[in-house]
Amino acid sequence: MKRTALFVLVATALAAVVPLLAQSRTAKPSITGSWEIFPLRGEGFGSGIQPKTPVTAPKPIPAPPLRQPYLDQWKALQAENQERTRKGLPPPSTGMACMPDGIPGMMQATFPMEILETAGQVTVIEEAFNQVRRIYLNEALPALDDAEPRFNGHSVGKWEGNTLVVTTIGVKEMARFRNVPHSAKMRVTERWRLVTDEMLENQVTVEDSEFLTAPWTWSWMYHRWPGYKIEEYVCEDNRYFDDPAQNYQRLRVK
Amino acid sequence: MPSSRLRFTLSLLLLGLLAAAPAGAHHSFAPYETTLQIKLEGTITEYRWANPHVYFEVDAPDAASGQTKHWLIECASTSILNRAGWKFNLLKPGDKVTLIVSPLRNGEPAALLKQITLADGRKLSNGAAAGRATLE
Repeated sequence: MKRTALFVLVATALAAVVPLLAQSRTAKPSITGSWEIFPLRGEGFGSGIQPKTPVTAPKPIPAPPLRQPYLDQWKALQAENQERTRKGLPPPSTGMACMPDGIPGMMQATFPMEILETAGQVTVIEEAFNQVRRIYLNEALPALDDAEPRFNGHSVGKWEGNTLVVTTIGVKEMARFRNVPHSAKMRVTERWRLVTDEMLENQVTVEDSEFLTAPWTWSWMYHRWPGYKIEEYVCEDNRYFDDPAQNYQRLRVK
Repeated sequence: MPSSRLRFTLSLLLLGLLAAAPAGAHHSFAPYETTLQIKLEGTITEYRWANPHVYFEVDAPDAASGQTKHWLIECASTSILNRAGWKFNLLKPGDKVTLIVSPLRNGEPAALLKQITLADGRKLSNGAAAGRATLE
């Protein structure tokens, strides 16, 4: 009788503990939910709620280490755009045409974004322009020749401990983050890691031997926004156009 | 200054900011004269709640001519306005409003909203990208 009771006790304990052990071996930090860039760009771009634990904001994104003559061309373009903007004649942009940011630009999270983890996939839904990005887990990237150019390219991801390493190729050459040109060989590697339960760091590395002399790297930080429901953003009433005479972002008034 | 008349107040701001603030996801606000703010008191004629920007139109008397002038007013995106306390049905034709705006530099009758005051006294901003109102 005593042996039976002991057996039942041990079996019950094992039944309770074994699943927990198995879970602890495979448990990854959950990143599912809504996030906003940190620090916020300003009122209205997010919740405005400060993180519970003080966090150092990422450093500003450095200038791209472009090869010559691309570096001089890029600097001249930036200076010209700044001057035209100062005069009230900002040059047309892909954003004005309601084009998506592409990768890596989409991950700057101008507006809040939602991350969804499902079996074999992580999905990012960005409020601005309803952009959707799919990251396939534990899959191989397609060969460059098979990677049809897309705004968001082709992304695969793999958990390395508590870090999700996301690699992207096949980004359309017209999708230029900060006006920086890139080739079809561009490779973007992101390392997503929860630095606290509410702060997600994204270390970005852009490599492109055709245009860059060295990897271009920076970090973004996202603040968890529990309960926020991403809003719809369809560009249904775009009143901006490329003025044919002066080539600037012009509002159609009538 | 009678409230029934157009109150057209010019304020040259000595901010040293010649370039407009970035508009966020969509476009630059640089075509607006952001160093200039004016006040309009008028009547809503149309309210269009949509993206990439919300627009409304307003009839307001012109101080110089006394004639009614029709303005197109640009606001931020629906999501930014929702977070700033707006609502898709906040305005309707016939509503009396007081606006602080920055007009287009090219002289066309359109302006970027800085602040709206509703008939019940509520004041709402247009989000950070549009800049703050500096007029009372």
